[in-house]
Amino acid sequence: MMLTRTIAIAWLTIREAVRSKLLLSLTCLLVAGLFGLPMLIAGDNTLEGKVQVILTYTLAFATGLLSLTTLWTACGGLSSEIQDRRLYLVLTKPLHRHELWLGKWLGIMGLNIALMGLSGLIISAMTHHAIRNSGDSLKIKRQVSEQFLLARLAVPPLTPDWSQTLSAATQRLLQSGRIPTNMTPEAIRQKLIEEIKIQHFTIPPGGGVQFSFQIPAKFKHGHDLLLRYKFDSTRPERNPVAAQWTIGTAPGPLTHIGVTNYPGIPAVLVLDAQSTAGSNLITVAYQRQDTQSQATLLFADTTQEPELLMPCGSFEMNLIRGLFVILCRLAFLAALGLTAGCLLSTPVALFTAFFILILMASAGYVESVATTGVFYIPHEGPALDPNWLDRAILHIFRGFNVITHPLIQLDPAPLLASGRVVGGKMVLLALGWLAGLYSAISALIGIALFNRRELG
Amino acid sequence: MGEQNGLVIEARDLTKVFRDFWHRPRVCAVNGIDLEIKQGEIFGLLGPNGSGKSTTIKMILGLLYPTSGHLAVLGKSPRDVAVKAKIGFMPEESYLYKYLTAVEILNFYAALYGLSGRIKQERVKNLIIQVGLDAARNRPIGEFSKGMARRVGLAQCLLNDPDLILLDEPTSGLDPIACREVKDLLLSLARRGKTILICSHHLADMQDICDRVAILLNGNICAQGAVKELLVNPDTLRLSLQSPSREQLTAILTYIEQETGQRPLVDHSGRTLESVFIETVTRRPAAP
Repeated sequence: MMLTRTIAIAWLTIREAVRSKLLLSLTCLLVAGLFGLPMLIAGDNTLEGKVQVILTYTLAFATGLLSLTTLWTACGGLSSEIQDRRLYLVLTKPLHRHELWLGKWLGIMGLNIALMGLSGLIISAMTHHAIRNSGDSLKIKRQVSEQFLLARLAVPPLTPDWSQTLSAATQRLLQSGRIPTNMTPEAIRQKLIEEIKIQHFTIPPGGGVQFSFQIPAKFKHGHDLLLRYKFDSTRPERNPVAAQWTIGTAPGPLTHIGVTNYPGIPAVLVLDAQSTAGSNLITVAYQRQDTQSQATLLFADTTQEPELLMPCGSFEMNLIRGLFVILCRLAFLAALGLTAGCLLSTPVALFTAFFILILMASAGYVESVATTGVFYIPHEGPALDPNWLDRAILHIFRGFNVITHPLIQLDPAPLLASGRVVGGKMVLLALGWLAGLYSAISALIGIALFNRRELG
Repeated sequence: MGEQNGLVIEARDLTKVFRDFWHRPRVCAVNGIDLEIKQGEIFGLLGPNGSGKSTTIKMILGLLYPTSGHLAVLGKSPRDVAVKAKIGFMPEESYLYKYLTAVEILNFYAALYGLSGRIKQERVKNLIIQVGLDAARNRPIGEFSKGMARRVGLAQCLLNDPDLILLDEPTSGLDPIACREVKDLLLSLARRGKTILICSHHLADMQDICDRVAILLNGNICAQGAVKELLVNPDTLRLSLQSPSREQLTAILTYIEQETGQRPLVDHSGRTLESVFIETVTRRPAAP
């Protein structure tokens, strides 16, 4: 009985969207945006750039549009019906208010699933079409296919054994007698490791660095591997740097590949399936060829090391997983919007919805403020001591960060746009955290408020 | 139902105070009223605008919560879903989804009542015919006239074959014939043991069909009782005769004047405008 009533409300919500032309307008806007954006945004004139534009911008557009409309329909879903009194008649029927709330949520999610499915089909078709119908050579098409049309698992390089270098650095510090008194021994150790890493990855002209990757035993050989890397330069002019990658270790077979990369721009090196066959430990070495340059390269900062990308599934399944994670986010937004609509009038609920959307879009900034305690970077002069207002605002940001932090962690767009796998762990976290816990908390608050609300 | 005492609606010292944002009392819409409505009777709530009629109805429907006092509908709290399954409500305005057709909206409300399959189909079909909307069954409600929308409102009110029917201005927007049909329908429902609570400004309609009425003013019940008792003027008596001759009439008047010392008032018994309208319209052949 409860299910019948809930489904009736969900069906009514969907029917309203169809009859009021909301679904039609939204579909037209979505299709126009998905097809139009890649045409409007100029890439770097390479096939790789074009595919990246398709994946990055269309996904961002679909997510943004559906987030906005989900909040809009959720906020207005209950509050407008209370305002124009249509809900009076519905609530005189044998219907629990939580059934009404749940039915509305299911209806909105039904619309989202349909529109997200359509977006997925369009994005997939456009990606395939762009690669298949490109005027580039077969080799480039194959490389781009390998890069984007396969879901890839990122394997980090093995951490070199720093122990000897670390003990030597510790000895030097003890002998110098300049041990910082305001740091714990563990903090001093971490700082020394960071310094050693920076020294290790700093490459002067003519210098080089070596990385080793351990591939999981279950990996089936036969596909190309991708090495994604990025470096920065100490020089402001950021001239291109010529270098040579060597795959393998002597006395085994070695493969040499010459490259020219720009500082600050991520690069991808294709490791041919033959060059890596038969071994689960892959060693690659980077050797600078530009002995005359004055620039020193920092090959990897402490947060973003090179990574080896190995295939572990199809693009379509990866896209479906990514879209599912986005749907979990929309589930949370729908719950949040309905909760706002239970308590507030339509205009106020919409204002609240926009505020929530802006807050979500600023999740990165919120996290930065919450963790560093700095609202902005001062351009000149010393940093001032925070006053009570700064401290109060900081606490507010920390509160927001509790909500928005999972949204940063559970964002599949960067993974999909770079061909990396949207893992099962992320899917489960999104399901449990966003669609489960967050939506449930919103639902409980919303239903409690709605039950208390009188319709006078 | 209030099985123990046979009361369908029982309100004792029922009070509703509306408060402002700061929870300060703003207006006392219903001020300690007592109300007892028995099974099978048609009860009318009368009163000027702002007298507390709608607030009382909304409390009975569980849309507003009483500030104090006791309110039981069919022996239970009005917020109980099991109670709502036995109530039919027709609001004054058509709070219907305008994008749905008559059939779709009745199917939707039937689903909320838990009706399904053949029972739902047959009940919807019969009600559509009963309220005279068979020809417009697949038109969106947004295209309906006010009277047609009221008919849909009446149909949805009867979907669950309710024990208690609450009607807010049931004849508003209806033509006199439809108005008469509605009143006849309500009388037949009352004969079948249904309890009906009507809230209306059409005093003639209320007089026609109500067994008892209560008159509300500023949240208080000023008068309550059976319609016949309320309308009786105990100081005067009306004597009706079927076409007496002039001589007979003169003799009767002379006798009364001699016996009572008062000259009686003589006039013809009148018909209501409603009865004249219905007789005229139903006698004329329908336009081709």
